[in-house]
Amino acid sequence: MLSFVLRRTAQALAVLVAVSAAAFALFYAAPADPARAACGPRCDSGQVAAVRQSMGLDQPLAAQYTDYLTGVLAGRDIDDVDGSTIHCDAPCLGYSYRLHQPVSEALADHLPVTFSLTAGALAVLLVLGLGTGFVSALRHGRRTDRLLSGFTLVGASVQIYFLGYIAQWVLVYSTGLLPLPSYTPPAEDPAAWAGGMLLPWLVLGFVNSAVFARLSRSQLLETMNEEYVRTARAKGLGRLRAHLKYTSRGAAGPLVQLLGLEAGALLGGAVITETVFGLNGVGRFAAQAVAGQDLPAVVGAVLLAACFVVLFVALADLAVAWLDPRVRLS
Amino acid sequence: MAVVDAVPVPAAGPAAAAPGPLRRILRDRVGAAALTVVVLFLLLAAGAPLIAALYGRNPVEHYGQNAPGLLSDGGLPMLPNGGISGDFWFGLEPGLGRDVFTQLLYGIRTSLLIAFAAATVTTALGVLAGVAVGYLGGIADRLFGFLANVLLAFPTLLLLLALSPIIQSRLVDPGAAEPEWMQFLVLILVFSAFGWIPLALSLRATVRSLRERDFVQSARAQGASRFHVVVHELLPNVRSQLLVHATMAVPTYVASEAALSFLGVGITEPVPDWGRMISRGSEVFQADPTYLVFPGVALLLFVIAFNLLGDAVRDALDPRSGTR
Repeated sequence: MLSFVLRRTAQALAVLVAVSAAAFALFYAAPADPARAACGPRCDSGQVAAVRQSMGLDQPLAAQYTDYLTGVLAGRDIDDVDGSTIHCDAPCLGYSYRLHQPVSEALADHLPVTFSLTAGALAVLLVLGLGTGFVSALRHGRRTDRLLSGFTLVGASVQIYFLGYIAQWVLVYSTGLLPLPSYTPPAEDPAAWAGGMLLPWLVLGFVNSAVFARLSRSQLLETMNEEYVRTARAKGLGRLRAHLKYTSRGAAGPLVQLLGLEAGALLGGAVITETVFGLNGVGRFAAQAVAGQDLPAVVGAVLLAACFVVLFVALADLAVAWLDPRVRLS
Repeated sequence: MAVVDAVPVPAAGPAAAAPGPLRRILRDRVGAAALTVVVLFLLLAAGAPLIAALYGRNPVEHYGQNAPGLLSDGGLPMLPNGGISGDFWFGLEPGLGRDVFTQLLYGIRTSLLIAFAAATVTTALGVLAGVAVGYLGGIADRLFGFLANVLLAFPTLLLLLALSPIIQSRLVDPGAAEPEWMQFLVLILVFSAFGWIPLALSLRATVRSLRERDFVQSARAQGASRFHVVVHELLPNVRSQLLVHATMAVPTYVASEAALSFLGVGITEPVPDWGRMISRGSEVFQADPTYLVFPGVALLLFVIAFNLLGDAVRDALDPRSGTR
């Protein structure tokens, strides 16, 4: 197991380094004028020149990238447009000349909202996805199965930027069943936190549960016919208990991997959901950075999201290896 | 011809596909319904100018502002349900007072053009990369695996969101207006840049297992060139995988395009676009939900139909999938 953990960690680190290089190349080398893109449309030529100097765009690309990496690992000093020097702590993901703030600080401000949204949505996803998958598999081919398949089809096809507004219209504005979606820090008022996040959790969880439900159904169906499950049944173990004890463990691998991917992707910011419900998470922050042409903030958000994906996919792989000895030995 | 036995691809030759895939899709009730809806959307898109001419409205004219009595002072339609009437079948756009029906009609063209172009490019790229890497194996295969890991780590929507302005900055001078075709091109490029990876990954796995099979080995033993092996032995065996991928890719791109336009980085005025309609509808949906509902339901129908068609195509081409 230890060698698997080490190998997997090394691989994740290599991917992260490559991701940072790719992001750097895409965003700092590809735009026609990165300084203009970082400073925004309202900067005059003097400010753009100051940004160019501050970003080190006159230096070779390799030196710029090393500076960037140094910032990520150890922090660095950055000159703002107005001439002041700001220290950007590690992990320094660049400096937003629009917000006059290190990008990592700005992202940290928006992370709690995204954490809350992700946690609740994942819970809904797990309950809905596993529930429909399990029931569908047990009732394979019957009417319940077909009904649930229709349910997951709608979930897989509906767009959050439509469902979110309709749900808000029905549940909040027309009937007043739920409070208006908003974020209250859970430490301040847990009830207001849960109430304000409930609708976003349900919508995001439902839409994302569709793929999970489909996968859990097919996984369970496949494992149900494995010989070790049949053996357990033949030895007299009840149907439900056999499935809960043996089938679900055998079917868990791909599900855990999908869950890891979902968790990583959601933590990077649910751009649409946060926009629809007016939640100020990292996704909305990133969308606003794109709209406001704040290049360093965009790159920071992209890198943060990629880190979450790499981290959670790796964690899921480790969990799978722990569950299934065949994986860690291959 | 390649000998296909246990591989789940019956459509390798005309003889194998006894009841054609199309016939098999039509025999399935859900598949037939999905195909009907998809064809209907295609016909509506193709016939948009004709239908609009017969209907007597166009998607750009500000009817509500030009004629009195259609919009209130606040810009909302006077008639209930978003101003639905005999003159304006699906009502009027709040504010600008454009006709919703023709906007929806022309919006299909925008979505389909981008989705079909992106699906074609990504399928072509995916085949090239997947088959080549799967067949070559070795170092190319490992490099590709790593590259795919790196690219898949990026958050898709955020990347699409962030990339469009950058590609734009390369193609258009600062300050210059972006021509319409350029908006389409940017979106197609953005989708193509990353959309090919999943197909390439799954093709790589298929080709890797096909490569070791007897019919490929015997072709190689008889001195067939690499080109012959790839084109005549391997490609026919991944055809159904391609078709399923392409069918499933179209609704994905339609939804992604609408999402980008919803967020304000896709297609801009005055080109009709569903995502932008939904975005505008979301601003007024408390007072008038109609303008949100029409494009939203149209998009939902479209994506469901395509997803069901994709399932039907897969079932028709893969006899084993029906048992799942």
